[in-house]
This record gives sequence, C-alpha cells and structure tokens, in this order.
Amino acid sequence: MTILLRAHIREWRRMFTQWPVFSVLIGAAAIYAVFYPQPYLNEALRDVPIAVVDLDGTTASRDLIRRVDASADVAVAAIPPDADSARRLIYQRNIHGLVLIPKGFEREISHGRPSPIALYADAGYFLVYQRISNGVTGAARAMGAEVETARLVAGGIDPSVAETIVEPVRFTAVPLFNPQGGYATYLLPAAFVLILQQLLMIGAGLLGAIPDEKGEEPRGFGDVVSILLGRMSAQLILECPIFALYLIVLPHVYGVPRLGDPLDLAFAALPFAIAVCALGQIAATVFRGPAVVQLVLATMGLPFFFLSGFGWPASMMPEFVQAAARLVPSTAAIDALVRIGQLGATLPLVAATVSTLWGLAGGYLVLAIVLTARRSLGRR
Amino acid sequence: MIARGAFRPGPAPVIRRELRRAFRRPVLLVPILLMPLLTMAVLSGLFSWGQATRLPIGALDVDGSELSRTVTRMVDIAPEVSIRPVSDMGEGRRLIISGDIIGLLMIPQDFQRDVLRGRRPETVFFYSTQMMTVGNLALRGVSAAVTTAVAGVRVSSRTARGQTNDEARAAITPIPVDTHPLFNPTLNYVYFLLATVLPIILQLAIVTVTAYSVGVDMENPARTRALARLGGGMGTVLFAKALPYTFLFLFLLGLSDVVVFGLLGTPLNGDLITLVVTAVAFVVAAQLFGIVLGLWMRPAVNAISVASFVMAPAYSFVGITYPFMGMNTVSRVWGAIFPGTWYLEARVDQTIRDAPPEVAFQPFLVLCGMAVILALLAVLGARRVTAVGRRDGR
Repeated sequence: MTILLRAHIREWRRMFTQWPVFSVLIGAAAIYAVFYPQPYLNEALRDVPIAVVDLDGTTASRDLIRRVDASADVAVAAIPPDADSARRLIYQRNIHGLVLIPKGFEREISHGRPSPIALYADAGYFLVYQRISNGVTGAARAMGAEVETARLVAGGIDPSVAETIVEPVRFTAVPLFNPQGGYATYLLPAAFVLILQQLLMIGAGLLGAIPDEKGEEPRGFGDVVSILLGRMSAQLILECPIFALYLIVLPHVYGVPRLGDPLDLAFAALPFAIAVCALGQIAATVFRGPAVVQLVLATMGLPFFFLSGFGWPASMMPEFVQAAARLVPSTAAIDALVRIGQLGATLPLVAATVSTLWGLAGGYLVLAIVLTARRSLGRR
Repeated sequence: MIARGAFRPGPAPVIRRELRRAFRRPVLLVPILLMPLLTMAVLSGLFSWGQATRLPIGALDVDGSELSRTVTRMVDIAPEVSIRPVSDMGEGRRLIISGDIIGLLMIPQDFQRDVLRGRRPETVFFYSTQMMTVGNLALRGVSAAVTTAVAGVRVSSRTARGQTNDEARAAITPIPVDTHPLFNPTLNYVYFLLATVLPIILQLAIVTVTAYSVGVDMENPARTRALARLGGGMGTVLFAKALPYTFLFLFLLGLSDVVVFGLLGTPLNGDLITLVVTAVAFVVAAQLFGIVLGLWMRPAVNAISVASFVMAPAYSFVGITYPFMGMNTVSRVWGAIFPGTWYLEARVDQTIRDAPPEVAFQPFLVLCGMAVILALLAVLGARRVTAVGRRDGR
C-alpha cells in the first residue's frame, strides 16, 4: 500500500516538473480550450455572397433580386453583366452562387405561365450550399405564392380561400439540440472529447516512457501493480478538473446547449479516462522513448476522429472498420458523452455504450499491467 | 566501413546514414504509413456509403386518415429516409435521444378534415441536428416528400375548380428554381473529405517526422559536429537528411491520389502538371517547417511536441469542413500559416472544381514564399547549432 502511495506522490511531482508532460497535460489543455473553437465562433453562416445576372431588367426581376438579398442566408454581392464573368468570380471564391434571371421573366409571369430562374450554387460546402439553396428558393417561393394568390383573386376567388389553395398544409421543421444549426454546437462537443483523449494519452505515454529516476524497483508482480495504480490514480485526479473544463465549462462558455446531469457525465467519463490512461501506458511499453511515443500518438488524432463515426451513422462503415473503431475509447466516449451532455440522455439510454467503455477500461488496464510487468520484471 | 582515403564528404553518405537509421526504426512507419492508410480505409468505406440513404425516422400519425397515410407513404418512398411508426411523443423523444431514429414526423388529429375545410393544418418534423449532416439529409428528404404530397392536394383543389391537370401543375409553382449544384453534382461530401484529409494527415507526419529526424541529431553537439563533417557542412546535411523523405512523401501523396482519383472516382478535372508542381512545393514547405522546429527546439521531444501541437488541429483551420468566410480573423490567419491550406486550395481547384490553372498561381506563390522564409530560418538555426557545437567542442 505504501509503495502505491509513494508512486502516487512521485507522479504528481513528475507531472509538474517534466516539461514535455506538463506542456501536454496542462499547457496544451489550456491553449486548445481557447484556440480550437476559434473557427466556429461565428456559429451560423449568414449572408453568403452570391451574384445575380439579370437578363430581364424589369420591375419583377428587380423585385426578386431584392427579396433574395433580403434573406438572412445570402447577400447579393455582385451583379456581373454575364454568366462568364460570374463564373470567374466563383473560381476565385469571391462569390459562391449565381442566380440567372432569363429574359422574359416578367412577361411569363404576367401571362400566367411558369417563369423559371436558374441557380448555380457552390456545392463544395454542405452549409454554404444549403444556405444559398434555402435563401434563393425561399425568396422565389414567397414571390411565387404572391403571384399565385393574386392570380386566383383576379379569377374571382375569395382571398382567404385563395390562401388555402396556395398553401393547404403548413409544414414546420423543428431542429432539436442545435436550433441555430451552428457548426460549433455540432462539432465542439465531439472534438472536445477527442482533444481530452489525445492529450491524456500522450501525457500518460510520456510519463510511462520518461524514466522515473527516483522510482523504486518493483520486487514482484504486486509491486508493479501498486506502482502503476499509484501513478494512474495521480493522472486521473489531475484530469478531473480538465474533464470538467472540457465537458461542462467550455460548452457553457461557447454557448453549446447543455442538458446532461454532471453525475451521469462523470460516470461515463471515468471509464473513458481509465482506458485512455492505460492506452498511454501501453504505448510507453511498446514504443521505447518519449520522442517516439509522442510522434506515434500525435498522428492518431484525425484518423480517430473519422473512426468515431461522428457525422455519419457508424453502421454505414465496413465491418472491419467498425470493429477497429470500437477498440478506440473516443468512439464510444463521443457517443455517450454527447448524448448525455447535449441531448440530455440519462444513463439507462446510453447503458450499452457506457458498458463498452467499462469493458475497454478493464481490458486496457489488464494489458497495461501485463506489459509493464513484463518489461520491468523481465529486465532483471 | 569506408576506406579513409575513399571518404569524401557530401550528401551521399548522409543519405545512406539516414536510410539506415530509418530502417532501424520501423516504428516510424506508424505515422508515415499506418495512420494515412487507416484513414483511407475509413473514408473509402464511407465513400461506398456516399450519401446516407434510408435514415430511420419515426412517424406519429395521430390522424390515421387516407390523406395522412398518403403523406407518410410519400415520405417513406423518399430515398433519404425510411419510416418507423411511433405510438406517442414520449417514445419518439426516447428513440431520438438513444439514436434509434434521426427525426420524428408528426401529423395532427383531424388532419384530413382540416385540409378539406381549408383550415391549413400543420405537420411538424422534429429532427436531431446534433449530427448535422445526417439531420439535414433527413430534413431534405422529408421536406421534399411532404411538398410533393401537398402538391397533390393543391392540384386536386384546382382541378375541382375546372382547371386541367397540366394547368393546375403549372400554376402551383409560378417561379420554379432550376438548381445546379456546382462542383458536386451528386452532393456527395465524401469526395471533398477524401481529396483533402490525406494531405493534412501527411502534413502532420511530414512535420513531426522531419522535426524528429533533425531533432535527434541536433540534441548532441558531438553528433552534430560529426554529421557536419560527414556531409561537409550543415546545409548539405539537412538537404541530404530531408531528400529521401521528400521522395517518400511525394510517393505517398501520389499513391493516395491513385486511390482517391483512380479507384474511388473522385473527379480529376484540372491541370495535372499544376497539381504535381504545387504538391512538390507543399511537401518541401512542410519539411522545412519540420527542419526549423528540429533546429530551434531542443530536446527532440519538445520539437515533436510543438510540431504536433501546432499541426494536429490543422484540419479545422484549412477551410474544408468549414469555409473561411465563416471564420474570424484569428482563425483565418492561423489557417494561412499551414502549407496544407494553400496546397488544398490549389488541389481542390485543380481536381473537383475544374478551375483554370492560373487560379493555382497564387497558392503556389505563397507556398514558395513560405519555403523561402522557412529556409532562411533553417539557415539561421543551422548556424546557431554549429556555433554551439564548436563552443562545446573546445
């Protein structure tokens, strides 16, 4: 027991005096907290710049342009004389869409015929395309509804009846959990879990790989387990405020809707943290030397993020990828922590995922103990 | 190994030494080969999925009339979604939170009667946007299907007033919008991920591996001196150390291009030579980034720390998943310091966007300018290292 306690205390000293460890566990955690969300702080995209080529030049076409410009989604940033100059603007990324109003636009409307317009929208970004498409079709539909109602009324139909003919059913779409459709709300909760994993894994890996000069020589398997548990418990306690920062404080600061119960969060986060710590220790026994540990673990972040299946249902991935994904703690952790934190799930609703995490924690802990014992006892 | 008389300092012995050392450390294959390959495997798998189809949504049909069943049937036919009946709002909420369904379509009581009486009842689609792409895809499917179903009602209310079917169909959309999605006709965003993720993962590998390779040799002044003698000057040493990796990384980039553009059929519409030239500029600039870190930061573990710390979140700052126009100034400036940002701009232009080659000129110039500045920093760093080496050697 005392050997565990001594290892625990020594680990605290090492976490604050070893520069590479300190900079990853605390320095990087602090800087990423401020720095990583920067691209997404504007939340929703507004007023995406588009161009309009007005070949009609009538009151009706100018009315449509005004309506398009008035929408919150897009802004008319250029009125080029022809489609070719508009194309050049699109290639230079100055504008992201083009509305083409053909000649005879007003004439077709006044003759009671459908009067189509063409929309060319940059579909390279999902969000941009969606904004442009919503803004322009919304404006065209609103103007079309007025035209249709006016025609019906002119045909002798009562205005209130005309309205029900134009729109007999109202369709309302209610976005849940992310009402503004903001990218930060979508991405940050998952990215934060991944950041926690990467920093803790690298930190624990460095602590395992940097030789502990004042460390005691384990005299048997029991000592190995005690030292390892002593060290890991110190790492886990240090992580408590960092996890709280990333899972509770930061979502609050960045305006991400948060519904979950902190206790439920803690219950799901604990096995995640244990599994990640153990993985770091495993990496330290497999890859000798802190530089190599850092090098190997650092490149895993982005692949792990894609593996986690965030953004598309995991069931769509091939079997072997799904199997590999389940072995990475962040996969289950992102699922469970986002569901609890942002969707307000209670533990029973995420029981399967949380048990996966406990399974990973147990498995990796055993593996870490075995590998560490083999290395430190095998040396003698 | 080599007879004394035959030894001539130069790049060749340094290259031989670097290759020997690389082969002795197979662990380097993890960042260089394994991670890029794993990512490719994941994304290719997603690619075969391409777009989400038959996403599960719930339908709560309180009305149960002929019209409400028509609406749910139309929605079920939409390729994006498939319907699963739900008995009440509580069940729907539970299923959404547990992730079994993406959204819930609710049709109110007396829906059909209200439509016929002109009371304009409301159908509501609740959808989870926590998984943004998926939620929006489901919305697109449901919204289009409901619009089609309602169009049927609108047409029949006009035919009842004596219009022909064709007249009624023409009359209900006075201003149709003929939408053309540019650069991505099938609205498959995996193309963009595929074309851009690998260079960014490689960028991280290039910078960290180079920082490591340079850093471990600069840790020890005696070794630095020996190496400088072997190469006949620090400039030659650095050039010779980097050269094998330049070819390796270009080969990997080329390999990934064969997979992405050849096997998976991502459009390759632009100018091939422009693409290759910017790729070389990108790899060289990223290597210089690593060299500068390896020379200026010591020990090597710190150089790798800084390299991975700066480069790991790069994908969020390169303007692919989220466009630059939505970012604040800090993020734009930060994004601009990555060689990958400029390379990806040229790469996407010359592949998917089918832009004229001259559009790639600006990113290419920026990459060259970056390389020149980094090379100057590397020269300064090398001078410092040799100066320290000499001082310690006396």
